[in-house]
Amino acid sequence: MTLPNESLVRLRYRLWPDHVIGELLSKPWMETAIPVLVMILVFWGMAWMVPSLTDTGQLAVIARDLGETGFVVLGLAIVIMAGGVDLSVGSIFALTNLVALLLMHKLEWSAPPAIAVTILSGMALGAVNGVLIGYVRLRAFLTTLITLIIFRAVYSLAIAEYSMDIAMSLPDSTTWDFLGMGLVWGVPVNVWLFAVVALFLHILLTRLRPGWHLIAIGGSRRAAYNAGIAVPFTIMLTYVASGGFTAIAAVFFSSKLASTGSDIGLGLEVTALTAAVLGGISLGGGRGSVTKAVVGLAIVLVVTNGMTASGASGGAIRMALAGILVLAAVFDIRWVKNRHRIIASVYVSPDYLYLPKPPSCEPAPGNVWSVNDKLRAVEVIGLGEVEGPEDVILDRNDNLYSGSRHGDIVRFLAPDYTKWEIFAHIGGQPLGMAFDKDDNLCVCVGGMGLYMVRPDGEVVKLTDETNRSLTSVNDDSRLRLADDLDIAHDGRIYFSEATRRYEMSEYAVDALESRHSGRIICYDPRDGSTKTEIDNLLFPNGISMCDDNQSFLFAQTSAASISRYWFDGPKKGTIEVLLDNLPGYPDNINKASDGNYWVALVGMRGPALDLAMRMPGFRKRMTRRLPFDEWMFPNINNGCVFKIDLTGKVLETLWDPQGVNHPMITSMREHKGWLYLGGLSNNRIGRYRLPEGEGAPDYVHYERRWGKKA
Amino acid sequence: MIAFFKGLSDRFLGRGDAAVTVPVFDGVLRPNRLLDDGVLWARLEAPGDLACDDTGLWASDGNRVLRIDPAQQGTTEELVLDGTITALARFKGGFAVALDGNRVEVHGGALDGHSWKAADKRAFVAINSLTADGDTLLATDASAHNAPANWQRDLLERRSSGRVLRLGVDGVQMLASGLSHAFGAVPVGDAVWVSESWRHRVVSVLGAGHVQPVLNRLPGYPSRLAPADGGGIWLSVFACRTQLVEFVLREKGYREAMMASMPPNLWVAPQLVPPQSFLEPLQGGAIKQMGVLKPWAPPRSYGLVLRLNEAGKVLYSLHSRVDGTHHGITAIHDHGGALWVVSHGAGGVLRLDPSEIARRAGE
Repeated sequence: MTLPNESLVRLRYRLWPDHVIGELLSKPWMETAIPVLVMILVFWGMAWMVPSLTDTGQLAVIARDLGETGFVVLGLAIVIMAGGVDLSVGSIFALTNLVALLLMHKLEWSAPPAIAVTILSGMALGAVNGVLIGYVRLRAFLTTLITLIIFRAVYSLAIAEYSMDIAMSLPDSTTWDFLGMGLVWGVPVNVWLFAVVALFLHILLTRLRPGWHLIAIGGSRRAAYNAGIAVPFTIMLTYVASGGFTAIAAVFFSSKLASTGSDIGLGLEVTALTAAVLGGISLGGGRGSVTKAVVGLAIVLVVTNGMTASGASGGAIRMALAGILVLAAVFDIRWVKNRHRIIASVYVSPDYLYLPKPPSCEPAPGNVWSVNDKLRAVEVIGLGEVEGPEDVILDRNDNLYSGSRHGDIVRFLAPDYTKWEIFAHIGGQPLGMAFDKDDNLCVCVGGMGLYMVRPDGEVVKLTDETNRSLTSVNDDSRLRLADDLDIAHDGRIYFSEATRRYEMSEYAVDALESRHSGRIICYDPRDGSTKTEIDNLLFPNGISMCDDNQSFLFAQTSAASISRYWFDGPKKGTIEVLLDNLPGYPDNINKASDGNYWVALVGMRGPALDLAMRMPGFRKRMTRRLPFDEWMFPNINNGCVFKIDLTGKVLETLWDPQGVNHPMITSMREHKGWLYLGGLSNNRIGRYRLPEGEGAPDYVHYERRWGKKA
Repeated sequence: MIAFFKGLSDRFLGRGDAAVTVPVFDGVLRPNRLLDDGVLWARLEAPGDLACDDTGLWASDGNRVLRIDPAQQGTTEELVLDGTITALARFKGGFAVALDGNRVEVHGGALDGHSWKAADKRAFVAINSLTADGDTLLATDASAHNAPANWQRDLLERRSSGRVLRLGVDGVQMLASGLSHAFGAVPVGDAVWVSESWRHRVVSVLGAGHVQPVLNRLPGYPSRLAPADGGGIWLSVFACRTQLVEFVLREKGYREAMMASMPPNLWVAPQLVPPQSFLEPLQGGAIKQMGVLKPWAPPRSYGLVLRLNEAGKVLYSLHSRVDGTHHGITAIHDHGGALWVVSHGAGGVLRLDPSEIARRAGE
């Protein structure tokens, strides 16, 4: 039966890369991209309404403003990122402006010491805030509100005293004039200085320890304290920096205008705050960047200058700024709160997948898939002692190894497997395992990569990254879900990575998404290189070498198929599908004693999910509307083990229909007439006695693979 | 117009009618294992309805009526009919039975041989409960579109074509129509309480067409009701709502393709029995972890019985959770000091001790 518009749906999902949107949105720089986009739109809109805005003269005014107010915004941004706020910048600006003018005009100092003392006085004023907030632990908002009033009062008293003196004399300093009016290559000198400082601050915040400390404090003051960061000192420094930067702005301002008007710096804190929040520096602290501050300020300046040029009154401009501030603050709060959810709901992007009607497993004569209860009598090893043995393996001394969800490799000792020990602790959940010819146990570890455990228990990392693919938005070089492996005769290790889009704990999401995001990777121990061998697979899982030393079998779980790949010889590079449309989802593949292959079906397909796989929109809505535990999943409570030959013929199947003794089968390993069974979410290892004549009583996989050792 | 835009915004935001949330088991609905303690008293091949009076207790099993001995386990055959019994009641010394959902017959007693086939010029389609009320019978006709066996289709097609009827010797009176799967009726004072499964509520019908909800926002689909010893009403709830089913109810394309391409036991729809085949859909929470199926997993089937007082307030509840098997409770009766329930999951009639239940539920 075909669904309405099915071919259209298939075409749409083949052509349109849904997953790219989610991957783009989860990039950290996307948060800066939004304000940049707003800036472009605002500039374009303003230029359209006020054509004079794009004149060179007007642009120079904006640039000079940027280089001046920019310093104030940078200082405020630092304070906000550390979780505080500084409302006193306007008053500090006014006071330091007065200091500079006093030194230059009244006391007639030369420019360099005057500038230094001005900046120092700004830092001292900031330190008042810093000590009160950092050490005395007053509220930032209240403290800076009070200092705003006090500093402003001091300024008002002082100008009444000194404004005449300042207006009476003019400093005779070319340096001073150059600061106020000078151009370097046609650009105001303060813009150059601002660019240098902004670049340095960017490096400080993103690459250097003090910057990280600052962001950490903003993210969580208590956690930062517990991590050993000097919280009060760092917080004090942010206010000192804010005061210092404001003083720099005041130096440029005073050298330009030499004004002592009573309204200097009035409302500057609103402008700076609007710029910072508009750029995306979160008021809650811990999030922000220099770029965001600059972009936010650019938007504010374009708006204010545009409005001024079009003849708007100061009140109207301030109203517009306040309006923008409210909008930006609302957006900031909603975004920080919902960002995670928005990305999560956009990130999952199911693909179209058509699987034909599977073969029936109803018991019937001649049906090799007939459900039987051969595994009902499975013996149980380590019940309640091992958790999550995805794969099991035996060494040539009959000891049994398995992974566990605690990140251990557990060794059950021969001959009765009642005693066990932790052979090695890796940290991530061990999945597929294989012995190389030196008795090293090579392990795929979920979330970590490919590891090796030496016979003495020493853990060695083999590889955790491969070459990055050209078309991927996500950096996919790091291995996220290495799954199963096998080792070629020359030592090369071929291993599967089930998906590059999800972590180990989210494997079911990838199964539901059914996007071709898995790959098979080759690690070559001879030169230590790692490279992707086969890309764009549907949840590649089990891998097992063939006897020709030129090819291996691999299972694609979501595609319900088993394929053969030639990595050497005349057919090098070709993939042949050996068996598809399985009734369930294949997992690990391992060699049987008769030269055929055991395959585990981790779960069974059901028509309801198969139908949903053909309706990506339905699954997308399901992931958005329903919580994870309510999603339709592949039925991995039931599974089976079956045997195939190299022509793809299914030879026999072993079932435990209700999964009473062994609920989930992800792997099996034949050893001396027994079949050992592992299961990813089981608390036991199963052991099934192969009937007389079916299993070789002396079969040891290691010896078959690498030969007998003395 | 406003309703249209409200509908659009609801669909976009997943609110109102488009919400897939379901009420939680909280307060008096807090889960317990009281139903799991029930003893399987009589095994039935095709569990049906229960009937009782002072002289005995009977259950229907396919086309047979079986007498249940309250003193010892097992059944004796009482009556064999030529159709599947979809409802059963003791009526004036005999049995009133609904056969294949489309006819009601009386066997034995004062009105032996009497039958009804239609009401209000419309033939019966899905008579799924009968209750004696003096000289008349209360009957619920669940749907005008789907026979009782196709109740899942009735849910997924979002039908509301059920009705409540009063069958008397002198004719048939329609009490209410347009109900979303009427399933069970019981007289309470002057009114008749009716379970309306797909609207998750019990309504009180007073006079013709005067319908008022008594119990709203149930976390499951209610079915037959019965008066309880000591006052109040027993209400059986045959399955629980899940967010997945609620979601699928809002996905027309998927629902239609699903109904067209697979048998009902594989649908994403409530079931009366716990999963029996690996072909059935599985929800994430129902994956066995460390060999254990969590009892709070999303329920594909569930066992739930509620005790209501005369005002329709829930006093306490009896549960069989996801890891239990006494699911799919469709009929319930007090008889001889014991509580009898039909459980599809258990495949028969369970006997419970009401005094023990009242004691433990009251804890």
